[in-house]
Amino acid sequence: MMNRRTLFGASAATASFVGALFGSKKASTATTTSSKFSSADVEPRGSKGRLERLPRQHLEAQHDFITGFRVFANRDMTSAARRRIAKIMRAKGIDPTKRLSYKEVLGHVGGDPLVAASARMWLSAQQINWKTLYDEFHGNANAYLAEMEATDNAGPGTLELNPDMYIPEYLTHEIHIQPGGYVGDEFAGHIYHYGTNNFFEGRNDQDELHIGLATAMPEPEDGKVVRVLDQGCSCGQLSVALKERFPDAEVWGIDVGGPMVRYAHMRAVDIGIDVNFAQRLAEDSKFPDNHFDIATNNIMFHEVTTEAAHEILAESFRVLRPGGVYYPIDFYTGNPAPKGVFSTFRQWWDSRWNGEPWRLDYAKFDMAAAMRKAGFIVNENGPPSRRGARRNILGTKPT
Amino acid sequence: MADSNSKRKSYTADFIKSDTDEAVFLGNPLMDDMMTSIIALGAEVWANRRRTRIIELLMEKEGAVTREMIEAYVPTEDEEAEMRDERDAFIQLTYGHIARTGEDQTALDGSAKTNPGKASANETDDDMTGDAGMGMGG
Ligand SMILES: C[S@@+](CC[C@H](N)C(=O)[O-])C[C@H]1O[C@@H](n2cnc3c(N)ncnc32)[C@H](O)[C@@H]1O
Repeated sequence: MMNRRTLFGASAATASFVGALFGSKKASTATTTSSKFSSADVEPRGSKGRLERLPRQHLEAQHDFITGFRVFANRDMTSAARRRIAKIMRAKGIDPTKRLSYKEVLGHVGGDPLVAASARMWLSAQQINWKTLYDEFHGNANAYLAEMEATDNAGPGTLELNPDMYIPEYLTHEIHIQPGGYVGDEFAGHIYHYGTNNFFEGRNDQDELHIGLATAMPEPEDGKVVRVLDQGCSCGQLSVALKERFPDAEVWGIDVGGPMVRYAHMRAVDIGIDVNFAQRLAEDSKFPDNHFDIATNNIMFHEVTTEAAHEILAESFRVLRPGGVYYPIDFYTGNPAPKGVFSTFRQWWDSRWNGEPWRLDYAKFDMAAAMRKAGFIVNENGPPSRRGARRNILGTKPT
Repeated sequence: MADSNSKRKSYTADFIKSDTDEAVFLGNPLMDDMMTSIIALGAEVWANRRRTRIIELLMEKEGAVTREMIEAYVPTEDEEAEMRDERDAFIQLTYGHIARTGEDQTALDGSAKTNPGKASANETDDDMTGDAGMGMGG
C-alpha cells in the first residue's frame, strides 16, 4: 500500500500552515499522526482509521455537536412531529396514514408550531454544518488547494478532470443546500465528505455504510468481474469500497463535479487504493460499449430529472457487457414506498428547502419499467443493499 | 466560488443558488433566524465545554497545557464516550423541551397559523409515494 504521506518528505509549507492554524510557528501533530508530513498534506490532527480528522479542535467539537443535534432532530423532534401530526389528523377525522397531496398536508399540519419547528431545526443544523466547513476550507484555501494539486497526478489510481465539459443545468443546483452544490465550489468534496459524516450521525466515518453496500453488490452470473463502474461517486467512498471488494478489477468512479472527483482521488491516494476517478456524466460516460461487468450508483437517481434518469439507464445498458449487472441503490428502488401525512410533509420540505429539486419526480419514477425499457432483464426482488432493506432492484443485460 | 486571491485552478462551474435563507417556518423570519442562532450558540457552548474538558485532562496527565497541546489532543475512546454522554445530556437540557412544545396549546383544527414556506416551482398537486428519507438518503 502506498501512502501519500510516505511519498513526500516533511516540509516547511505544511509546518507554517499548521502553525497558522494554531496561531504559532511551531507545527504540532496529533497523537495518531505520522511524523512524515507530505509537502502539502494538511492533517494537523491526524487520522482516525481512514478518516482524516477535522483540522482544528474547535471545528471537530462543533461537528461533534452537530452530530448529536442531528440525532436529537431525527429522533426526538421527528417522533414528536409524527405524534403531533397523527393527533391533528385524527381530530379532523382523517386517517394519518392516508395518502394526501402535499398541498393538502401543508393545509392540515403546516401551521402547527411543533411540526414547523421539526423542519426548521433540521434545516438550521444543516446550514450551520455547511457554514462551518465552508469557512474552514475557504479560510485556508491555498493550503487545501495545494494539497489537492500534490495528488492530482499521483497514484495509485488516476484522475481525469474535464473543466470544459458540458454540465446540464439540472446538476447545478445547491443540492442539500451545500454551498456551491457539487460543481460550484472547489472544496465540494471536502465539504460533502465531512458534512455527510455528521448526517450519517457518525456511523459512516470509516465508510462503514459504503463497505456494506460493496459487500452486498451482486456479481454477474458467470462470476467474471473485470471492470466496475460507480456512477455519481461523490467523494469516492463506494468506489474505494468496491475496489476492496474486487481487488483484481479495474474500478471507475465518475461524477459531474470536478472538485468531487479531485477530492475522491486525493483521498484514495492517501489511503492507498487504486481507483480511477473521472469528471464525466453518467448519461454520457464516454466508455466503450460492453465494457463493464458491474455498474452501480448510490443515492444518485433521486437527484436527477426523469429525462436524465432514462438517459442514464440507456447509457448504463450500453456500457455493460452482456451478462453484466446493474444495481442502482436509492430510496424506493426495491422497497415499497411508505405513505402517510408525516412522510409527505418531510418529503415536501426536504425537496423544497433542503435542495432536493428532483426527489418528488423520483418518487413517481417507475424504476423497474424504465430499466426494462432500457433493455435490462429486471429482478425487482434482487438482493438487499443494506440491513433493514428487504430487496433491491437488479438489472441484467441479456446475453 | 474560487478564492479570488488565487490563480490556482478550481475546476468549478456555475451553479444555481438555493433560496433556503428565505424559508419561513415559524411565522416570522426573525424567529427562524433566532432558531438558527440558538443552535449555533449551542455548538459554540459545546465546543467550549469540550475544550475545557480537554484542558482538564491535559492538566491531569501532563501538569501543564499549551495551545498546541490542546489543538493536538485526541481523546481516548473512553473519554469520547464520556463526552458523548455529556453532549447528549446538554442537547436534551437545551433543546429537549422544544420537542414537547405546545402539547396543550396547539389548536387541533389544523388552521394554518404560520406559513411554512412560500410556494415553490417544484410543487405539484400530485400525491407522493416515497418514504421519509431525510435529505441525502438517510
Ligand atoms: C448524493 S451524492 C451520492 C454520493 C455517493 N454515490 C455515495 O454513495 O456517497 C450524488 C452524486 O451524484 C453526482 N451526480 C448526480 N447526477 C449525476 C450525473 N448525471 N452524472 C454524474 N454525476 C452525477 C453528484 O454530483 C453527486 O456527487
